[in-house]
Amino acid sequence: MEATPTENKLPLRYGDFSTLAEALDYAAQGETGANFYNGKGQLEAVLPYAVLRDEAVDIARQLMGLDLERGSRVALVAETYPDFLRFFYACQYAGMVPVPLPASIHLGGHKAYVAQLRRLLLNCRAQVAVAPGMFMSFLREAAEGLGLVFVGTPEQFSEFPRQEGPLRPSGPDELAYLQYTSGSTRFPRGVMIPQKTVMSNLASIIRHGVRVRSGDRSMSWLPFYHDMGLVGLVLSPMASQVSVDYLKTRDFGMRPRLWLTLISQNHATVSFGPPFGYELCVQRLREDTAGQFDLRSWRLAGVGAETIRPEPLSRFADMLAPSGFNPNAFTACYGMAECSLAVSFSPLDLGIQLDVVDPELLAEEQKAAPLASDFRIRTTKGKSFVKCGFPLPGFEVEVRNTEGQPMPERHVGTLYVRGPSIMSGYFGEEALTAEVLSRDGWLNTGDLAYVADGSVVITGRQKDLIIINGRNIWPQDLEYIAESQPEVRTGDASAFSVTAADGDDKAVLVIECRESRHAQRMELATRIQALIRQDLGIDCFIELVSRNTLPRTTSGKLSRSGAKKDFLQRVEDGKTEQPGAAEDFYLLRRKTG
Amino acid sequence: MPTYEDILAIVTELIKPLAAAGRSIREDTDLVSDLEFDSLKVMNLIEQVEDRFDVSVPLNILPDIRTVRDFTVQLQAILGDN
Repeated sequence: MEATPTENKLPLRYGDFSTLAEALDYAAQGETGANFYNGKGQLEAVLPYAVLRDEAVDIARQLMGLDLERGSRVALVAETYPDFLRFFYACQYAGMVPVPLPASIHLGGHKAYVAQLRRLLLNCRAQVAVAPGMFMSFLREAAEGLGLVFVGTPEQFSEFPRQEGPLRPSGPDELAYLQYTSGSTRFPRGVMIPQKTVMSNLASIIRHGVRVRSGDRSMSWLPFYHDMGLVGLVLSPMASQVSVDYLKTRDFGMRPRLWLTLISQNHATVSFGPPFGYELCVQRLREDTAGQFDLRSWRLAGVGAETIRPEPLSRFADMLAPSGFNPNAFTACYGMAECSLAVSFSPLDLGIQLDVVDPELLAEEQKAAPLASDFRIRTTKGKSFVKCGFPLPGFEVEVRNTEGQPMPERHVGTLYVRGPSIMSGYFGEEALTAEVLSRDGWLNTGDLAYVADGSVVITGRQKDLIIINGRNIWPQDLEYIAESQPEVRTGDASAFSVTAADGDDKAVLVIECRESRHAQRMELATRIQALIRQDLGIDCFIELVSRNTLPRTTSGKLSRSGAKKDFLQRVEDGKTEQPGAAEDFYLLRRKTG
Repeated sequence: MPTYEDILAIVTELIKPLAAAGRSIREDTDLVSDLEFDSLKVMNLIEQVEDRFDVSVPLNILPDIRTVRDFTVQLQAILGDN
């Protein structure tokens, strides 16, 4: 078996197509394509775009034969395997809407995963659901009684008859796919992205962000159900006729070195990851092997998907310098599923660009005053943020204060964006859509940011998002688990994250509890911790407090930021009710000041 | 073909350094609630198991594993299939 070549005889087109089907029709005329590697780094499947196109058309004819309404949703458990691509593009040729579903499961998490799949199938009202064999039992259980036309594996689907006659590909105004945000698992939001919307973002990414050139080759371990994995590393290579090498996310998680091995071996030039991915390499690579790769070809090491801290990236660059890694390859970008993917891209070949500001002015007046001239002296005092680059063409950004007024440069506020690749809305959720997307096209990103010399700088997440090990955890999911216990009433739990001394975020859950017996309280805390690990795969610090401790707004709603402030104060005063565990936070508080 | 006891001994040995300090590891020890395994530790453990036994552990067995015994039983089945 031989991987698809990097060089292509077909003239490079920069994603200037009106639909994904049209883009694949063009890519199919060349020799490039997608390659799948196993957990040992061996090539397992090769799918040239030419073959992918033919096989997708074949499946499209079977989908057409099912006699479903145009625009019907086809749910695909998005394991990193060739059939995901075949079915995703089959939907494009059959006028249907693919919906990638998560393929992420945790130890002991059977019930939680099935429940999540079921919520998603219900939310998108899927007619067809396809999963690889190893996910089949979960999908079958999730789809039970929902009346889907088909639930099964790609092999089982292949028995359906094919409908002859013309294909009916989705037009520019029809949906290209439905993307569930990596947000709350309990309350899913399906982002609707029409063809012309995603094509506009792809063309911008290809021409202005990545600046694709002849000789480019991509490599990815990002899940196909995430916006960066799907749009950035599945659709974007295809729309620019670039070969791409895939490693399953799980295999990367187990052996991070495979990322670097495959880049070395195939001379990949473009690969993206969240900061956490780079960090995992640093943690798990042995010093004595860090010089054994050849990373000289890696011209664009994209960083995005979570708030970027510069330290882990510089550790990665230092460690892999002997392998020829170029720190200037780091390229910070900013985006979200609601914008198809990318909003801003840093200029290439400059590496991570920092903006160092006065922390006091930042905290007190929300002003990002640069400490540029004398930053060497005051550098310990300065707060560094990573510049996420300039908005892509056609995008406008606006930072607004709490009254909704636009702010000048270097003032922190809520980031609003408007541009050609913004979603048409959340599927079946008009009220939720109206909350974030105005009639004149401005999207509330929910992120706190300022603009410095035209560059977007993200300072935090407004929507209380908790990010642990690179995964987005929504506080309401943690609170829900607590509230599902008989001892805890609805509205008596508040979740947030606290940054520890090492710079990592830790999840904290403060719960009001009437139980006063010590043993029972300990048992409750342990039980909730175990449920959180099982559902979400993260550690969470639990603090039980007496009633009327959690701060509430006048309307009786819990204030998470208030709860966090109070928690840190209790830690500071040594007054948390969990003396042993709280010690960690006390130390951490001392260290971070 | 290793016996259940052989596998259990190796699994226990691999789990020990990943578990929270001072926790005892028995067959009915729950990996998640007793040993505080998060998803990264699980991946780390599976990597070591795969290297040690030279097998590929399919992801779909994870959701139904709670205890050290569950893990060992599943692993024995995988080794038997090879």
